[in-house]
Amino acid sequence: MKKPGFTILFLLLMILQVLLMQFFTFSRFVMVSFLPVMILCIPIEKGTIFSMIVAFVTGLAVDFLGDGMLGLTSISLVPVALCRLGIIRLVFGQEVLVRRENVSRRKQGIPKMLLASLLSCSIFILVYVLADAAGTRPFWLNAVKILCSILVSTIVSFFVADLLTSEEKWR
Amino acid sequence: MSSGRGNTYPVIVLAIFIALEFAGGALLSRSSTLQDIWFNRMSHRVMGALWGGTETIRNHFNLQKQNDQLREENFRLSEELRALKDAGEMLTEEAELVKGSGSRFTYIPATVVKLSKNSSHNYIILNKGRADGIKPNSGIISSLGVVGVVSAVDEHFSYGLTLMNSKISVSARVGRTGIVAPLVWDGVHTDRAYLSDLPLHYEIPEKDTVRTSGFSSIFPPDIPIGVTGLSNMMNGSTNRTEVFLFQNFSALRYVTVVNNPVRDEITSLEKKDEEGHR
Repeated sequence: MKKPGFTILFLLLMILQVLLMQFFTFSRFVMVSFLPVMILCIPIEKGTIFSMIVAFVTGLAVDFLGDGMLGLTSISLVPVALCRLGIIRLVFGQEVLVRRENVSRRKQGIPKMLLASLLSCSIFILVYVLADAAGTRPFWLNAVKILCSILVSTIVSFFVADLLTSEEKWR
Repeated sequence: MSSGRGNTYPVIVLAIFIALEFAGGALLSRSSTLQDIWFNRMSHRVMGALWGGTETIRNHFNLQKQNDQLREENFRLSEELRALKDAGEMLTEEAELVKGSGSRFTYIPATVVKLSKNSSHNYIILNKGRADGIKPNSGIISSLGVVGVVSAVDEHFSYGLTLMNSKISVSARVGRTGIVAPLVWDGVHTDRAYLSDLPLHYEIPEKDTVRTSGFSSIFPPDIPIGVTGLSNMMNGSTNRTEVFLFQNFSALRYVTVVNNPVRDEITSLEKKDEEGHR
């Protein structure tokens, strides 16, 4: 069976994220999001501007379809797109950027993929939780929510990244 | 990645990032009142910090102007104070039926152009001269006390001898009603002078204020000079008392020139008296 292309997979995962946010709310302390890692896995040759626009549009679509606060996911996801190349350079090294090769678990290894997922999820969740709270929630509540969400989202994101960067589909 | 695209690429990326964040923020604030209030509060904080910082920087660069304004204000207030003091003195004199007060001094503000401190004949140059109404033998004072005496006057500058000059002697009084004696620089310290020719039987208390006596035609009375220190005997016939000056000559920038309009009259009277004795 032929594997779907990156764009289709991206769109399917976006719909999955909407469904997850809409119907699977586990706790008020935990939010699960793999959108940051989807932005991280956009092919390197696409550049920062492209990924920022994709992040903005994806965020809008998720908020619109998920009946959330319009703009909240966008303002949290665009910083991930801005830091995307920085995270890649930091975790995978300058070589990956120079060669413009796509990252994958098989090439870079599990620890590096986990670290990249952790960093991108941290940026997204930090902005998301703080903007969502709008200064109304106590610090400890925000802190617990940020930490729990980063932990869960990183693990989920690792598998999503694996799915998005699997090299078989590019053959 | 960006190195190949020139230096403008990071700026463009940053601009697009800010634009997208603003757009997202605008959408968010429209869709939720809570976030709208939060954004407003944050923007007020940022604007407050920004304008506060700008104001601090602007104030820093305006310090010279503000300093000049304060100097003008200080001079105006000092002049008012002196006028009130003179008026009070005149009233006292009138009450004592003493006519023709000689205390009507005029005051001219000036800025120090040059000040020497390292020789035994120190001098001062001021940015005001004959054109501003300054005459030779006018007194130079500051808010802290006596500075010196104008020695020569040019059209726009004046040259004076400071108290740190061995040629200068100022008639001084210890306390409000104490003994009057000539005050001269000790020739060594920048903050010390001494009262000389004091009678041996007269005991000068320590830390008493020394002011101008008003006996000379150069300085008005009661201009502060310093405080007394230890006394010691000189040549077995007179006492000498140390005076710690109020004026710090290192930090001197603004002064006031004191002019006595009736000085010529007093001088000619003294000359007539001298000629009469011959």
